[in-house]
Amino acid sequence: MRTDDPSIRWIEEPSLGLSGRMFLPLFVQGLTTTARHLFSPKVTVSFPEERPKVDNPLIYRGVHRLNRDAEGRVKCVACFLCATACPAHCIDIVGTESPWPDREKYPASFTIDELRCIYCGMCEEACPVDAIELTSLLDLTGRSREEMIFDKEKLLSVYDQTKDTEPMPSARLGGTL
Amino acid sequence: MNLLLATIQETWATWTTHWHVWTQHVPMLQSRLTWGAILLALGMWLLLPRGGRRGRAAGALLCVAALGVFASRLPFLGDWSHQGVFWLLAGVTVVAGLGTISMRSPVYCALWFSLALLGTGGLFLFSGASFLGIATVIVYAGAIVVTFLFVLMLAQPEGNAYYDRISWEAMASALSGAVLVFLLSVVLADTFNSPRSTLAAQAPAAPALAKGVLAPEHVATLGGQLFSRYLVSVEVIGVLLLVALVGASAIIMLQGRTDARGRAARGAAEEGSPQ
Amino acid sequence: MLELFAIPLVKIVVLIGALMTVTAYLVLLERKMAAWVQDRRGPDRVGVPLTKIRLFGLGQPLADGLKFLFKEEFTPRHVEPLLYTLAPVVTLASALAIYAVIPMGDTLPLKIGASGANLSMVVAPGCDVGLLYIFALSSIAVYGVILGGWASNDKYSFLGGLRTSAQMVAYELPLGLGILGVVLVSGSLDLGKIIHQQADSGLWFAFTQPLGLVVFVVAAFAEAARLPFDLPECEQELVGGYHTEYSGMRLITFLIAEFMHMVTVSFLIVILFFGGWHFWGLTGSGPVESWGQGILRIGVLMAKVFGVILFFMMVRWSWPRFRFDQLMSLAWKVMLPQGLLNLALMAVLCEPFIAERIGSRHWGVFLLISWAVALLAWLVTALVQPSGPENSPQRVEPSI
Repeated sequence: MRTDDPSIRWIEEPSLGLSGRMFLPLFVQGLTTTARHLFSPKVTVSFPEERPKVDNPLIYRGVHRLNRDAEGRVKCVACFLCATACPAHCIDIVGTESPWPDREKYPASFTIDELRCIYCGMCEEACPVDAIELTSLLDLTGRSREEMIFDKEKLLSVYDQTKDTEPMPSARLGGTL
Repeated sequence: MNLLLATIQETWATWTTHWHVWTQHVPMLQSRLTWGAILLALGMWLLLPRGGRRGRAAGALLCVAALGVFASRLPFLGDWSHQGVFWLLAGVTVVAGLGTISMRSPVYCALWFSLALLGTGGLFLFSGASFLGIATVIVYAGAIVVTFLFVLMLAQPEGNAYYDRISWEAMASALSGAVLVFLLSVVLADTFNSPRSTLAAQAPAAPALAKGVLAPEHVATLGGQLFSRYLVSVEVIGVLLLVALVGASAIIMLQGRTDARGRAARGAAEEGSPQ
Repeated sequence: MLELFAIPLVKIVVLIGALMTVTAYLVLLERKMAAWVQDRRGPDRVGVPLTKIRLFGLGQPLADGLKFLFKEEFTPRHVEPLLYTLAPVVTLASALAIYAVIPMGDTLPLKIGASGANLSMVVAPGCDVGLLYIFALSSIAVYGVILGGWASNDKYSFLGGLRTSAQMVAYELPLGLGILGVVLVSGSLDLGKIIHQQADSGLWFAFTQPLGLVVFVVAAFAEAARLPFDLPECEQELVGGYHTEYSGMRLITFLIAEFMHMVTVSFLIVILFFGGWHFWGLTGSGPVESWGQGILRIGVLMAKVFGVILFFMMVRWSWPRFRFDQLMSLAWKVMLPQGLLNLALMAVLCEPFIAERIGSRHWGVFLLISWAVALLAWLVTALVQPSGPENSPQRVEPSI
């Protein structure tokens, strides 16, 4: 970088003053700050025993779920918008003709590879019918790679598990679909 | 079998007689120290880095043998634990000294030298001169050799030059070193062996020792001596060191000035030159 | 024979065992302190092995040690194998050997051997050159650093080694000057005698030599390479410093030695300036008469050392670290003159006060003069502000 660049704004270094040069006030300041923090309440969460507090579950990006509508059917219409939006290409949908009269298609299978997912929430943004959502479940573990590939049933069961604690925003807004 | 033994014995007897006849005109050759010195010279010559790798193991062996010959002339200290400690420290010191001159890499030389200094310090401690021992370690091993190491490590980071890896005048240095060791040993052996020697006669009695170096407060005594009896020498040495210090800073300041002048001259030349 | 070999040997074994254990737990304490200062909790999971008992993480040192033990002992191909192995050994050996002359208390009324003297709490009791011995060994410790850096054959290690040794060599001078004032007043290099002197007068050298204390403590921080002078290790410039290329047991040997330096200088600070085992109205001052008194003296000394170690750990999180040129200018332009001033002051004050030409009633004058001079020196230093080279970017007028 050129030092004679006219766009640089030069700032004068503040002078320390006598007390600053004597180090003593800074010495005391540093030690008192350290001592205060030494005895202040700790913020560490002892995880397995103590659950971390999620401030707003609605905007937290944890494990995915597939929402159900009022009749208990899967809400998804297999439009592939989430799979298109996904930067990690972790969503795989097989659409087929819907058995119900109110929509044309529905997903015959809907799998998300939770290991490939980067939890960016783009699928949630992209979904036109609020079918896919990210919950506030944060401790997702498994013993094998296969176990971590969630299919439609598992994603729907996540919805059943979390629907009481985290209601759908569209339901709260009185949406129908 | 018996015949063979008898032959060997006879040959040995003849040879030794011949030997005594031969050497009676040169009594030096009958002394063990002479042969020790010759062995040492040969060993050191083989041990010194002369370019090739040949004969270094033989040189080390010869040196050890020579040291054994010298050591066999040393008096016994009277107590095996003392003797053991002495042998250990002396051995470490001398072997480290040989290592200092025989290594190819200057860094290893410096390290062996520091080990030799540690051994020397240990010998001083062993003989009761604790201040001298500790001071040797602090001043030489702790300050001077560390400075050596700094220079050696900073000087040739890409590897050592050929002229640093070989010893110059290996023959002459081995010979002169062996002669020096021989002369010192002769003098020492003479001092130890003759009962009327000056050193033995002047050795202080136990009460005098208790007041001198072996006193429990001998550092205080040493300090008192330094600042009363030897005050002038201490002050002179102090001034000498100060002069060296001032000289060093003067050289640095002078160099800075000449550098600045050189830069100014260069700058003027560049300005003067056509663009 | 018993007195010559057996007792020192037992002392050495007990001392090294205790030191290693205490060091391991001090590392745990250091981690705990670091956590607490940062509003965390620190390691609290590892307790009794193979059970679920947590015990506030007291098993952590064991786990750490095992981890280092089972790590691969990797020797990179480009190193000098002999010196590479030797360097950590030299460092640890010199760090441990210092404890031969450091008293762990006064004496215990345990008569062993023909002399009938109390059992001394020093491995080498009555060592007339104790302080010099400590100096000699701390200068040997530099070798470990230099060798480690050079034998690693790697630019980061090498630069780190050079930097560390430059720092240690530079701060040995103020360290020595800080000690010299104490030696001058007490008239002995034996640490036990220095403590007895303070116990007899009841006036710790911290009170009579404030300037010496400051110089010594600053130099001690630098010698032990603790923050704010922890220049040897520097992730952004030197990766890991002189032990970048080390792993496994060799690395932990370096780390233990480094940590032990801190414990050593804590002992020295307490012994030289804070009266060692002495505490007013608690430990007495003469020779030890009963077991209770002997143990109390050990306890007082250990408590003080523990306090100083806590201070070291607090300081680590309190101030930003120095730049290397600032470190050097602090050593040569601030600490060295102040140490010399302290030495001269003590030499001048010693003559009338210690030689008892002025009665002990006038100790107040001694204190007043030394504190006044210390404050004045501090003020003058602040006003003059000797600093390193000015290398901040300077304003340049736009050329266009």
